[in-house]
Amino acid sequence: MSRTTRRTAFAATAVALALTAAACSSSGDGGSSDPSASSSGSGSSAFQPQHKGGTLRLVAKSAAGTFDPQVNYTLQYWQLYQSMYDGLLAFKKVGGQASFTVVPDLAEAMPKVSNGGKTYTFTLRKGIKFSDGKALTSDDVVASFQRIFKVSSPTAGTFYNGIVGADACIKKPAGCILDKGVVGDASAGTVTINLTAPDPEFAYKLAVPHASIVPKDSPEKDAGTKPLPTTGPYMAASYDPNRQLKLVRNPHFKEWSRDGQPQGYPDVIEYSFGQTVESEVTAVQNGEADWMYDPPPSDRLNEIGTKYASQAHVNPLTAFWYLTLNVNMAPFDNKLARQAINWAVDRDAVVRLYGGKNLASPACTVLPPGFPGHVDSCAYTKGGGKTWSAPDLAKARELVKQSGTAGQSVGIVVSDDEVNKSIGQYLQSLLNEIGYKATLKPLSGNIQFTYIQNTKNKVQLALTSWYQDYPAASDFLNVLLSCASFHPGSDSSINISGFCDEGIDARMQDALKTGQTDQKKADQEWAAIDQDIMTESPVVPLINPKIVDFTSKRVGNYQFSKQFYMLVGQLWVK
Amino acid sequence: MLYFAVRRLVSALLVMFAISVLVFLIFFATPGVDPAARIAGRNADQVTLAQVRHSFGLDRPLPVRYLLMMRHLLVDRDLESFVNRGSRVIPQIVQAVPVTLSLVVGAAVLWMAVGILMGTAAAALRGTAADPVIMLVGVIGVSLPAYWLGEVVNLITQKQLHDTVFSWVPPPGYVGLGRDPAQWALHMLFPWLTLSLLYAGIYARLLRGEVVTAMNEDYVRTARAKGLSERRILIRHALRCSLIPIVSLFGLDFGALVGGAALLTEVVFGLPGVGKLTYDALQNLDLPVIMGTVLYAAFFVVLANALVDVLYARLDPRARHA
Amino acid sequence: MTAPVTSRARRSPGPWRTAAADLLRNRSAVAAAAVLLVVVALSLCAPLYADHIAHTDPFQSHVSGTTVVDGRTVPVLTPSTTGLGLGVTPIGPTWDTGHYFLGADNQGRDVMARLLYGGRTSLLIGFSAALLTCALGTFVGVVAGYLGGAVDAVVSRVLDVIWAFPVYLLAICLSVVLLTNGLRLGPVTVEAGSLWLPVVIIAAIYVPYVARPLRGQVLVLRNKEFIQAAVGSGAPTSRILRREVLPNVLPTAIVFVPLMTALAMLTESALSFLSVGVQPPDASWGTIVQDGLGLLYTRPAVTIAPGLLIALTTAALNVLGDGVRDALDPSARLRGGV
Repeated sequence: MSRTTRRTAFAATAVALALTAAACSSSGDGGSSDPSASSSGSGSSAFQPQHKGGTLRLVAKSAAGTFDPQVNYTLQYWQLYQSMYDGLLAFKKVGGQASFTVVPDLAEAMPKVSNGGKTYTFTLRKGIKFSDGKALTSDDVVASFQRIFKVSSPTAGTFYNGIVGADACIKKPAGCILDKGVVGDASAGTVTINLTAPDPEFAYKLAVPHASIVPKDSPEKDAGTKPLPTTGPYMAASYDPNRQLKLVRNPHFKEWSRDGQPQGYPDVIEYSFGQTVESEVTAVQNGEADWMYDPPPSDRLNEIGTKYASQAHVNPLTAFWYLTLNVNMAPFDNKLARQAINWAVDRDAVVRLYGGKNLASPACTVLPPGFPGHVDSCAYTKGGGKTWSAPDLAKARELVKQSGTAGQSVGIVVSDDEVNKSIGQYLQSLLNEIGYKATLKPLSGNIQFTYIQNTKNKVQLALTSWYQDYPAASDFLNVLLSCASFHPGSDSSINISGFCDEGIDARMQDALKTGQTDQKKADQEWAAIDQDIMTESPVVPLINPKIVDFTSKRVGNYQFSKQFYMLVGQLWVK
Repeated sequence: MLYFAVRRLVSALLVMFAISVLVFLIFFATPGVDPAARIAGRNADQVTLAQVRHSFGLDRPLPVRYLLMMRHLLVDRDLESFVNRGSRVIPQIVQAVPVTLSLVVGAAVLWMAVGILMGTAAAALRGTAADPVIMLVGVIGVSLPAYWLGEVVNLITQKQLHDTVFSWVPPPGYVGLGRDPAQWALHMLFPWLTLSLLYAGIYARLLRGEVVTAMNEDYVRTARAKGLSERRILIRHALRCSLIPIVSLFGLDFGALVGGAALLTEVVFGLPGVGKLTYDALQNLDLPVIMGTVLYAAFFVVLANALVDVLYARLDPRARHA
Repeated sequence: MTAPVTSRARRSPGPWRTAAADLLRNRSAVAAAAVLLVVVALSLCAPLYADHIAHTDPFQSHVSGTTVVDGRTVPVLTPSTTGLGLGVTPIGPTWDTGHYFLGADNQGRDVMARLLYGGRTSLLIGFSAALLTCALGTFVGVVAGYLGGAVDAVVSRVLDVIWAFPVYLLAICLSVVLLTNGLRLGPVTVEAGSLWLPVVIIAAIYVPYVARPLRGQVLVLRNKEFIQAAVGSGAPTSRILRREVLPNVLPTAIVFVPLMTALAMLTESALSFLSVGVQPPDASWGTIVQDGLGLLYTRPAVTIAPGLLIALTTAALNVLGDGVRDALDPSARLRGGV
């Protein structure tokens, strides 16, 4: 699961590609010390009709592509889908830590799991209608699961490949039936899903938008700019990716579960595209817009943090920015050379380039603080310690010398927006300092991510980031650093370092298995794996970023879900 | 004349064809540009990636891909963006044209008026101190980087003096002429001024040169001999003849600008015109949109060139063989 | 749009000297030349300034660096501490040439030192690209105009394509490809990120601007008696081109050099603004403007100073160019405006 939210800076290009979910969990992380005004309401407070109504105006530099919930894989729209589309299950739609909890949504209750964890049985709620007025039945559910494969959903082969019959559907999407995998019983109102093997993360996978239930007569291809009917409180009235997306109330929506799908407050949500980030800030300041999607440009942060502090909400994300070191190419096929980089990088400098210590914290492990499996530990900090304190340049130089790689040339590939490019320039300067000849290649944000994955492009060092899809350690370690994620010659090879260690791979499989029965023990295993990977040093964790939501003065009831970020439908404009 | 026009048309089509092939080849020569992985989504399974590649026809030979794309663009007119799937290219361009036209027509009126005034005044005041001063102003206008000027204008009107002198300046963006003409003009004002400042100097300098040359021509001497006033000679005779090269240059510039050459101005002022569309498409490496906008732009440049050529051919038969 | 220089004017030994005298009498042109000389001299002094006055390496990041202002040690990049404490602001102008005269950029580098180094790059790129364009354009224009027929037809269509391809689009398209791959033309290899890439790109896109008017001149020239006489005397084509045609179009080509340099510098800065020109850590005025845009609201000097320098230099080049034109070939016209 993954995602990179590439939020962009003015003039610098780059569109936010990515996605997902958020945040950091749990106690003890930077969240609590955060000065932010973010109020995460807890629990499901009752609907307050006096705040109902009005038009919420959102702005973003650009649209996020197709509006099909089973295809779109961007944070920008996943955030909106929360108050539009529903799956059988959902992440609880509240602020705070509780947003990592999975609750029943279109299903009446959590599924009955049988057959050793391989069979899930759901009973559908009665009386739910799509926004086109048709009733939702088990046929729609079956068709929606088929549709995941028919539209080649990005996660078809990674999230839903465990459903019985999925292999055939991935290979031949057109005739996908899943007749043994997803079985509906219209008269009983039940749906049964059979897996080929138990999957402790399956409930999470059913709660993300790709598993949304859409009408059975939806087109069997990406719906693109023609939004599909919804089940939630809002439906799309129009969508033009160059201008505006307009959401209005779904006339057939009746609140069935405040946790799963609460009633929304604004009557209309207008999402405009195409302004520069600078003017987005100005628009929110002047009350011409209520919220901006893009991160504010660096020269406006100070102003937002002081003059508009009451309108800014800062929340830590369960994500990390990191460097990938290509372990199959000189000089980073040498472990000492890789470790040298981990010793050398001044995380404080990177934090500064990102916007200061209230916007990011130094990272030393793959798993972000507050994430399942995270344990404070830092193998590469001057003077030792559990968290990062300072770089050790002398040690780095020494290791470079020992490795015999001094004087070699290193190409750094970054995307060309302001923040990434400035971190790239710092790295270039740093690598030259410790004995390499570094060149910097800033690429358009849109191609950098696929470019660095393909081994044919011979990328030695790249700057990238990973944002969680759902709260499970495997979402970082297994996805980013397992042998199965390394596909030489392909543009989709998320193990960018090309790191493949059979011993560690086997332990990750074990930890996954342990997770089926004992999540706590599994998380301890993941923590050990994280530390052992850091010893091998295929990646250099840099920072764990935070997000700033900047809202207009009139907006109330700001709530931050760690899973899907700000709850758009819950904002008050009255 | 007809033969010349037909020949010109054929060569224009040839040029457009060459440009489209060039764009296509450059695009696919760029490493990392294969849109399949971007469309398929992050960490997509290898089989899913292959499916996506197949469904977009990206696994077919280049010439076939080229023909398919051109068919969708020109024949079926349903070519869709790679990035915003389902969003058609032609309606996007059609929607952007009025914005670009608003910008370019308004700026053109301004710069032609100012340019002609400055050029004529400088020529008429030749020998006095005013001439070099006017020309210097023109030169400075020509020498400013367009995007920089736009950024500085934004800085001043949106921040530095926004609380005092420029509190009436609306935030950057575009308001349709049909929706609110007053707001439309207000939003376009600074983009117009910025763009026309860059062009007025060119025309002033060109016109001054032409007028100065014309004032030494035989027909002007004849007019003088007839005892006509200097002012009358300047405006009725010299200026009139000097406008021909100006008009032909204007044709070329106008064509290029309508085609999206005002890209930097549109980007800086957040105007969703053709230039901005092109810029965004380039940033996203969205080939269908790039192809659409480049061909659209080339069409206007080629058209303007052809018109100017035909005009010249009418005036000067020798040019037909050139 | 251009008229030929008459053969009389070219034959006599004096035209170059006359032109030089004309130019020296042109006060604006002399003033412009003086401004240019100062800019060039300052740029050449960049290493002197960086090493001996400011004692800084303008290509090295000083993200965690400190400096001393009024006896107090302050960080070069200061994180905000008030309110929510968001954002980091580089040090502003100290107006002290010893350190951070114009302040720092977001990497903590001395903007003044970078401006001087940037001037070297911008001038080098502008001038090299202009020379290359004029040389290529003259060659193409003369050969196509004189030979005519199939050669002319092919060359003219190629020029049409470049001409009709919007300048920035062509430049951006080429840059994206070249920046990732570098350029390999036979034995010549230009590395991705090399300064010569923008030179080659800019030179290529402006060739028609020079080639078209020169071709027009040659077309007229071809029918002149002195050329016909040379052809009649059996002189080889290459000799006629070199001895008869080229000297007649050379003044126009020379007129284009300063004007083209101005245009090339503006284009370079625009390309750098679009992140496809000069690549870090090299600095040009365009890249400094681009770096500064991220600081526009807090440190506008980083953007404004290089922009003013670009404007000053191109204005001087344009005035000088006009002077050269008036002296050499008053009818020469360069299509400007981008």
